Amino acid sequence: MANEELKHTLKEQIIKYLNLLEKTPADIKDDQVLFGEELGLDSIDSVELIVLLEREYGIKIKDPKEGRKVLVDVNTMADYIIANRTR
Amino acid sequence: MIYVHKIASVTPQKELLPASIDEVNESVNNVLKVVEPKYEGVPLSILRRMGKAVRMGVGAALPLINTLEFPLNGIVIGTANGGMEDCIKFLNQVIEFEEGTLTPTNFVQSTPNAIAAQLSLLSANNGYNITHVNRGLAFENALLDVWMLLKENKTHTYLLGGVEEISSYNYNIDYLADWFKKDEVSNKAMFASETEGTLSGEGSAMFIVNAFPEKAIAKIDALHLMHTDDVTEIERQLQHFFNQHLEDGQSIDVLVSGENGDIRSRHFFEASERLLKDATIVRFKHLTGDFATASALALTITCQLIQSNVLPDHMVKIDRHKKNINKVLIYNQHKGIQHSFILVSKPAA
Repeated sequence: MANEELKHTLKEQIIKYLNLLEKTPADIKDDQVLFGEELGLDSIDSVELIVLLEREYGIKIKDPKEGRKVLVDVNTMADYIIANRTR
Repeated sequence: MIYVHKIASVTPQKELLPASIDEVNESVNNVLKVVEPKYEGVPLSILRRMGKAVRMGVGAALPLINTLEFPLNGIVIGTANGGMEDCIKFLNQVIEFEEGTLTPTNFVQSTPNAIAAQLSLLSANNGYNITHVNRGLAFENALLDVWMLLKENKTHTYLLGGVEEISSYNYNIDYLADWFKKDEVSNKAMFASETEGTLSGEGSAMFIVNAFPEKAIAKIDALHLMHTDDVTEIERQLQHFFNQHLEDGQSIDVLVSGENGDIRSRHFFEASERLLKDATIVRFKHLTGDFATASALALTITCQLIQSNVLPDHMVKIDRHKKNINKVLIYNQHKGIQHSFILVSKPAA
């Protein structure tokens, strides 16, 4: 999957997993901070995103410090998926 | 006794009491689903995680709490199943993902006490907080709890509520157990149905209650709950209820009957009508459908009837031409085994 296609799919999955009402992939910028005010995500959402990575890409994040580096924005998540995906 | 000060509800109808039968929303495939409002006042970040039962409960209750002029001492909710849809989603995930990492949201929202808990968090209320889950008497048990609380704490105010959602899983189980009709019947014609089963419904009803009569919209005089499938026992206990709670010369103006279109339970309602030969008989389940805590919506409707003193034609089964609605009996039953009487009256001016 090309990087841009992956990012689009990832945005769709973020919207689905977090049930972000009234959001479309176009509303989420690649470098938009996920846990900032704009998207309004919180700590429960971070667990949902970890579950997303595991279910959709076979990636298990066990170290919270690693999670903090990965769950920054769509770019960092996509880069991590490309480097670590098992499916 | 308990005084009702504020009511709010989410129901399958746009208006709690449609003025005419033409304005009554019709059931689809024997199901009456709620018309959900916009839930203003509930933060979007929290709303997106809520299952339907939690949304309906919080959406109806939060505006009541936020506009309260006095402190709220507790939150008491009755729900037979709570957020069953999320519960089943969560359990399915346990199997689907082989007991691996699970999403927290479905689990958090799936417990019946999620409604009362979410209300507590959103309103920063750290008072008494409990959820009663006694199937078809869940709301009545919540009401009984508040009754006892107000006996002990006469100056307290409580949020009392009843909530139920239709989950596809639960609907299917009850459908297979013949609790819902197999033949297509419109809610507008459900009381004429001669078949077994009822129509499925859902909704939420919330009340601000205390022991202060000033500015109250209704007074709950008495409550009685029982488990029986014996119609003669219903008649005996209803007569005893009247003997206990109606003073000499008092009579019931309106019976709000939980008749549900199921031919198997018709004899219960006919028994209650036999004891109320002078009362106007009204029915409400063509507006709400049937569900375990439908009596909560019956109480909301009763408060509205007492306030407005108007009975929409589509609700009336037998009109005894009462000029004033001062005393109302709500009789409801669930699955032919759980029954309740709630006596409601107009507070003295």
